[in-house]
Amino acid sequence: MAEDHGSSRHMSSMSMSHKELGDDDARVVHVGDAERTNERLQFAGNAVRTAKYSPLTFLPRNLFEQFHRLAYVYFLVIAVLNQLPQLAVFGRGASVMPLAFVLAVTAVKDAYEDWRRHRSDRAENNRLAAVLSPGAGAQFVPTEWKHVRVGDVVRVGANESPPADMVLLATSDTTGVAYVQTLNLDGESNLKTRYAKQETLTTPLEHLAGAVVRCERPNRNIYGFQANLELQGEGRRIPLGPSNIVLRGCDLKNTSWAVGVVVYAGRETKAMLNNAGTPTKRSRLETHMNRETLFLSGILIVLCSAVATLSGVWLRTHQTDLELAQFFHKKDYLKVGKEDNENYNYYGIAAQIVFNFLMAVIVFQIMIPISLYISMELVRLGQAYFMIRDAKLYDASSDSRFQCRALNINEDLGQVKCVFSDKTGTLTQNKMEFRCASIDGVDYSDVAPQRPVEGEPAWVPKVPVKVDREVMELVRNGGATEQGMNAGEFFLALATCNTIVPLIIDGPDPKKKVIDYQGESPDEQALVSAAAAYGFVLVERSSGHIVIDVLGQKQRFDVLGLHEFDSDRKRMSVIIGCPDKTIKLFVKGADSSMFGIIDKTLNPDVVQATEKHLHSYSSVGLRTLVIGVRELSQSEFQEWQMAYEKASTALLGRGNLLRSVAANIERNMRLLGASGVEDKLQDGVPEAIEKLREAGIKVWVLTGDKQETAISIGYSCKLLTRDMTQIVINSNSRESCRKSLDDAISMVNKLRSLSTDSQSRVPLALIIDGNSLVYIFDTDREEKLFEVAIACDVVLCCRVAPLQKAGIVDLIKKRTSDMTLAIGDGANDVSMIQMADVGIGISGQEGRQAVMASDFAMGQFRFLVPLLLVHGHWNYQRMSYMILYNFYRNATFVFVLFWYVLYTGYTLSTAINEWSSVLYSVVYTSAPTVIVAILDKDLSRRTLLKYPQLYGAGQREESYNLRLFIFIMVDSVWQSVVVFFIPYLAYKNSAIDSASLGDLWTLSVVILVNIHLAMDVIRWTWITHAVIWGSIVATWICVIIIDSIPTLPGFWAIYEVMGTALFWALLLAVIVVGMIPHFAAKAIREHFMPNDIQIAREMEKSQDSRDANQPEVQMSTSTRA
Amino acid sequence: FIFDFFNARLHFGCSRMQMYPLEMEGNSNPKTTNKPKYSKFTQQELPACKPLLTPEIVIAAFALIGALFVPIGLASLHASRQVVELVHRYDASCVPVDDKVGFIQNSRTDKTCTVTMTVPKYMKSPIHVYYLIDGFYQNHRRYVRSRSDKQLRYKSAAHLTSDCVPEGDTADHAPIVPCGLVAWSLFNDTYTVRVNGVVTQVNKKDIAWKSDKNNKFGKNIYPSNFQKGRLIGGATLNESIPLSEQEDLIVWMRTAALPTFRKLYGRIEKDINANDNVTVVIQNNYNTYSFGGSKALVLSTASWIGGKNNFIGIAYLTIGGLCLSLAMGFLVLYMVKRRNFGDPSNLSWNR
Repeated sequence: MAEDHGSSRHMSSMSMSHKELGDDDARVVHVGDAERTNERLQFAGNAVRTAKYSPLTFLPRNLFEQFHRLAYVYFLVIAVLNQLPQLAVFGRGASVMPLAFVLAVTAVKDAYEDWRRHRSDRAENNRLAAVLSPGAGAQFVPTEWKHVRVGDVVRVGANESPPADMVLLATSDTTGVAYVQTLNLDGESNLKTRYAKQETLTTPLEHLAGAVVRCERPNRNIYGFQANLELQGEGRRIPLGPSNIVLRGCDLKNTSWAVGVVVYAGRETKAMLNNAGTPTKRSRLETHMNRETLFLSGILIVLCSAVATLSGVWLRTHQTDLELAQFFHKKDYLKVGKEDNENYNYYGIAAQIVFNFLMAVIVFQIMIPISLYISMELVRLGQAYFMIRDAKLYDASSDSRFQCRALNINEDLGQVKCVFSDKTGTLTQNKMEFRCASIDGVDYSDVAPQRPVEGEPAWVPKVPVKVDREVMELVRNGGATEQGMNAGEFFLALATCNTIVPLIIDGPDPKKKVIDYQGESPDEQALVSAAAAYGFVLVERSSGHIVIDVLGQKQRFDVLGLHEFDSDRKRMSVIIGCPDKTIKLFVKGADSSMFGIIDKTLNPDVVQATEKHLHSYSSVGLRTLVIGVRELSQSEFQEWQMAYEKASTALLGRGNLLRSVAANIERNMRLLGASGVEDKLQDGVPEAIEKLREAGIKVWVLTGDKQETAISIGYSCKLLTRDMTQIVINSNSRESCRKSLDDAISMVNKLRSLSTDSQSRVPLALIIDGNSLVYIFDTDREEKLFEVAIACDVVLCCRVAPLQKAGIVDLIKKRTSDMTLAIGDGANDVSMIQMADVGIGISGQEGRQAVMASDFAMGQFRFLVPLLLVHGHWNYQRMSYMILYNFYRNATFVFVLFWYVLYTGYTLSTAINEWSSVLYSVVYTSAPTVIVAILDKDLSRRTLLKYPQLYGAGQREESYNLRLFIFIMVDSVWQSVVVFFIPYLAYKNSAIDSASLGDLWTLSVVILVNIHLAMDVIRWTWITHAVIWGSIVATWICVIIIDSIPTLPGFWAIYEVMGTALFWALLLAVIVVGMIPHFAAKAIREHFMPNDIQIAREMEKSQDSRDANQPEVQMSTSTRA
Repeated sequence: FIFDFFNARLHFGCSRMQMYPLEMEGNSNPKTTNKPKYSKFTQQELPACKPLLTPEIVIAAFALIGALFVPIGLASLHASRQVVELVHRYDASCVPVDDKVGFIQNSRTDKTCTVTMTVPKYMKSPIHVYYLIDGFYQNHRRYVRSRSDKQLRYKSAAHLTSDCVPEGDTADHAPIVPCGLVAWSLFNDTYTVRVNGVVTQVNKKDIAWKSDKNNKFGKNIYPSNFQKGRLIGGATLNESIPLSEQEDLIVWMRTAALPTFRKLYGRIEKDINANDNVTVVIQNNYNTYSFGGSKALVLSTASWIGGKNNFIGIAYLTIGGLCLSLAMGFLVLYMVKRRNFGDPSNLSWNR
C-alpha cells in the first residue's frame, strides 16, 4: 500500500479512530451523574489552558525553552567563566548584559503573548452554559464553563457553542436533528447534520439517569468517534458514531436547542487536542549559516590558541624578569615566607596558558554574533509584517489576508525550485458547476441559463444552474418514453443519493423560496442543485426520510440505509423506500469503481456510449460521476438490514464490517448515466504558472483526479503546452511499469543527446499515475523515476493518495538540494505541506486543515507569484545580506581586539572600554542592520514581476555562499588591520593613553562598519538615513557618556583626544583606507561583471528618470502595475 | 510607523500561537474587513533615493579623495618637519657596572648621570621634556586593572583596595593610598636641565590633564602607607600634598596604550637656539633593567599635528596618490571596456 511511504505523522494522528472500541480502554460516562463518572478516574475538567506559563513557572520554563538554542548555552558558559576570579575579563555586569538583554527581549515577547492567552482563557472559562442540576427539579442551571464536568448534561441554545464535546441526547427537532457549523474547527462554513438517537430522544431527561455511554479515549480525529449507549434497564447497546457528537468549537445553527452529555472536557476535547502547533522547520539559510558559524568558531579557536601559545612563549622568555618588573609584580610580599604559594595570581606557565586561552574566548566571544539571533527574529517579524500587510496578497472573496504561521522560513520563499501543487481547490476554485449529463447513453451537454417558466412551484436553488432544454423537455414529459423515465430516475438518483441538507431561506420574492444546499461535498451540491433545476427539488431532510418536490408534487422518500462515501470504495449508496413502496438502491461514484459493479449485460450499448462520453467529458476537464440503480426485493432488503444492524453495533472491526456489507449490496447495478461537473480554474492560474515557469520554478501538479482530467486541467492552466513531449507512465503491473520507466529513461537520454544546446531543447512532461508510483516506490526504482522527473519540465501525477503526495515531495527533497514548496487546500494535502520545505495552505473551500498545517496561508493560488517573486526575493536578499554583514561586523571588531592583544604581552587587555565592547553588537551597530534588512529593496515589485527570471538569484544562492563569506571575512581582516595599525603607527612612541586610543578605535570601527552597510544599501529612505547616521551619532554620545564617569580610568579621554588634529586626521584616514577595497571591488563587480540584479537596477534607474521626465506616463504605468 | 509596526507584531504573534480563540474573535464581527490599509510604508513604497555606482561617481569619488588627501598630507608633513625632537637613550650609559639590576636596587649608590646634547635647530618654547620607556607594559592586564579609581576620588573609598592586591593593603591591613601597581610603579628619575651651562627651569605645573586634576583625583585625598612595602616600585609621594596636585602621579596613572611610550615630565619655557648645548643631569633611579626595558629623554617642540610624526603625512600622501591613480585606472578601464547602462540584452537569459 501507499501508506508505506511518506511521513507517518499524519497516520499516527488518525490511527486512534481506526482502532476498534474494546471495553478495556473505553471511557465510561454516566449520563447526568458527573460524581460517579469522575469517581474512579478523574477525567480532565473543562477549564482550558492555552497559556504556557503561570507567574511562578514563567521564569524557569521560559529560560529552559530559550536555552534550547545552542548559541545561548555558549554565551551562558562564557558568562559563567567570566565570573571566575582568575578569568574575570569584564566586570560582572558587563559580561552578563548582552545575554541578559537577548533573553529579556524574548522573555518579554513571550510573556506578552502568554498574557493575551491567559486573558482569552479566562474569558473562555467563564462563559456560561446551562447544566442540568442533579438535584431536585431537574433544572438547567447556568454554570461557568470551567465547572462543567464529564457526565454533565448540558443544554445548548441556537447559535451557541457547546462547552465541551458531547453526545447528543435530544434536540428541538422531533427527529433529533441538529445542525452545526464547524467553521472554527475545520473552517468549513456549510452546515453539518448531527443526530440524537431515537432512543434517547423519546426518553424524558429525568429517566436518562443511569444510562451509560462508553466511548473511545480522547483523540485528535475530529471526523471519527466511536461509542455506544446503554440505557438503564436495557441490555441493548445503541451504537454512536461521529454524527451523534457535537464538538467544542462548533456552533449550533438552525436548531433552537440541543441537549447532550459531556464526554470529553477541557484539554481532552478534540478541538484542544488539535490545537498543537505545526512542526518547526528551519530555513536553508539558517542551515548554511550554521556552517559559517562553525567556520567562525574555528577562527575563534585559532585566535585564542595563538594568544595562549604566544603568552606562554612570552612568559617563558620573561620568566626571570617578572619578579621585579613593575608591571607584573609576581610575588605577593605579604605572603613571602608564610605560605607555599607566595606568588600573587600566578600558577605557573601551563596554568597561565590555559587561563589565557579561556580569557581569550571571553574577550573574543562576539566572533559568534549573539545579536544575530535576535536580529534575525526581529527581521523576520518585520518581513512578516510587510507580507501580511501587502494589499496584493489580500483576497477579497474570502476576506483573508496573507498569514505567516511559521516565523522562521521567510527567506526560503526566495529559493524555491520546485512547487508541488494540489489541483482541486488550489488551481481550481472547487466551485462545481453541473455542465453535462450522459443519460441512458445519450449525451446532453448543450446548456443555457434557465428561463423562468410560468406556473412552476417556486423552489429555486441558491446557485443558478444552466440546463439543457432537451433534457428539460424529456423530464417534463415524464414517464411517456423510456428515455424520459430513465432521465427521471437519473435526477431522482441525484436528488436522493447524497448527504445534502436543504435550507430554505427567504428570497427577495416572497412567492419564490430559495433553497440553499449545504453539504460536505461541493460535487454533491452541484448535482443536487442540478436535479432541482430539472424539477427534482430536495426540500427537506430528516434522519429517516427526505422530501422531494418531484415536478411540483411533494413526495416523501424513506431513507432506509446509507453507505457514506469513502476513499477506498470511491462511491456512496442509499437505499430509498419510494412512495410506490418499491425499494431502490442508488449508487454514485467514480467511474473506475462503478464499472466494476455495473452489470454490463443489462444495457451494453449504453455502457459503451457512456464510457465514450465519460472520456470526452474528462478530456475537457470535467469531473465525472457514474450513477447506477438497482431495485431491491423485500427479502434482499431485509437481509441487508440484518447484516447492517449487526455490523453497525459490532464493537470490533465495525468499519470493515460496514464496508463489506456495502460491497455486498452494491453489485449488479444498472447504469443510469454519468454527470460532468466543471471545476472552474481559480483567477489568474494560467498566468501565475507561466510566471513561475519563467522564474525557473518547476511546477508539479499532484491530484487525485484521473489522468484525462488532470491533463485537460494541465492544458487549461498552461502547465502543458502543445510543443511538449509527453511521457506517460500508466501501468497496471509491476512489469509494465518497469518497462515504461526504462523506455522513459531512454527517451530522455535520446532527447538530451539530440539537443545539446539549451535553445533547441524539447520540453518534456511526465504524466504518471498513483498505481505506477506505488509500483515504483515498492520496487526501489525511485532513482530512475527521479532521473526522469528531474529531466522533465512538468510533472503531473494523477490519482495519487495523500500520503503518496508526501512521498513524491520527499523523493525530490531527499535526492536534490532543491527547495520544495507544497501548496494545497484540503486535508489530503496536509502530509505534503508538512513534508515540503515550505508549506502553503489555501484558505478556501475545503476546510482549515491545510491552513493549520501550513507555514504560510493565503487566499489564492496566484498570490504565489508576488509571494515568491517579490517577497521571497526580498526576504532572501535581505536576510542573506544581514547574516553576512553580522559576521563581518563582529569579526572586524574581534580582529581589532586581537591585534591589540599582541601588544599587551598577550594578556587580553583591551584599550576599548569594556562597556563599549559589550554595547558594540547590541547597541552601536545593531539597529541599522535590522532596519536595512527589513526595509531595503534591491528591485521594485514592478521589475521583479516583469522579469521573473530575476528570481534565479535566490535559486542559485547568489546572495549567500561560501565565496561571499570569504570575501567579506577578508574585507573584515583588512579593515581591522587598517583600524588598528594606522593609529598604532601614528601613535607609536607617543604619549597616547589607552583610553584615548581605545575611543578612537571604537569610533573608527563603528563608523567603518556603518559606512560599509551604507555603501551596500540600495534604497535610501528617510528611515535608513535616520538609523545609519543616528547609530553613529548614538555611538559617539555613548562614548562621551562613558568617558564622563570620573571613576572609570578613561575619564575625559574622548574630550582630550577630540581636541587634537591627529585624531580627526586618523579617523578620516582609517575610514577612507578601510573602505577603498570594498568600494573598488564593488565598482568593478557592478560595472565589469554585472549580475542580472545589477542590470535590472540600472534599467529601473533609467526607467525612473524617464518617468520623472514624463509624469503622465508614470501615472499610467503605475496603475497598470 | 514604529507604533504601527509593534501592533502588527502582536497581532501576528497571536495568530500564530492561538488559532482557536482568535478565529472566534475574528469571525464574531463580520463588519470589519481584513483588507490591509494602504500606506506607502506598508506597501514598501516610501520615496527613496537609489544611488548607483556609475563610472562618473566612482571616478569622481576617487579623484575627490585624492584631491583632498594630498594637500592634507603635504600640510601635516610640513608641520611634522617643523618639529625639533631630541631623543637621548640613557639607561645603558648611566649605569657603569655590569650588574645593572644590583646597581639600581642599591639605595646607596650615586645614580647621578649627565648627558649632553647639541640642539641642531632652533627650538621654540614651550619645549616639552618627556621620558620615553620601552618594554614597559603599562597595558598589561595585571597592571591596568591594579588600581582603585574610587579611592583616588572619594575619601570614604580609601578601603576599596580589592583590585589592588598585592599592593592594596599593608601587612597590618591599612589601606595604601594610592593603591595598586600603577601608582606603586611611579617613575622616579629626575632631570635637571642646563642650557649652555645655565640652569634652566623645567616647569612641572600643568603637565596633567585639567580634568584629572579637577575631577578624578581628590583634592582632599593624601597619600598614606605609600611605598612602604618590601619591594619598592618607584617614586615616593609627599604625604602633605593632595593627590590632585601630584601631577607626576596623575600623568603616570594615565596608562599608556602601547609598551613603548613617552610621558610628559615638564616644559622648558625658553627658546633654545641652534647649536646650543643642553646638559641634563639625571637621577637614574627607575629600574627598567630588571625587565630589559630602556629609558630615554626626549626634548621636543610641538605643532598642530602633535609631536614629530612623519607617518601621518606620508600616509595621507600615499592614500591620495593611490586614489588619484585609481581614478585614472578606472577611467582607462571604463574607456576600454564600455558597457551600456541598463541594457536588457545583458541579462543572463537574453545573452
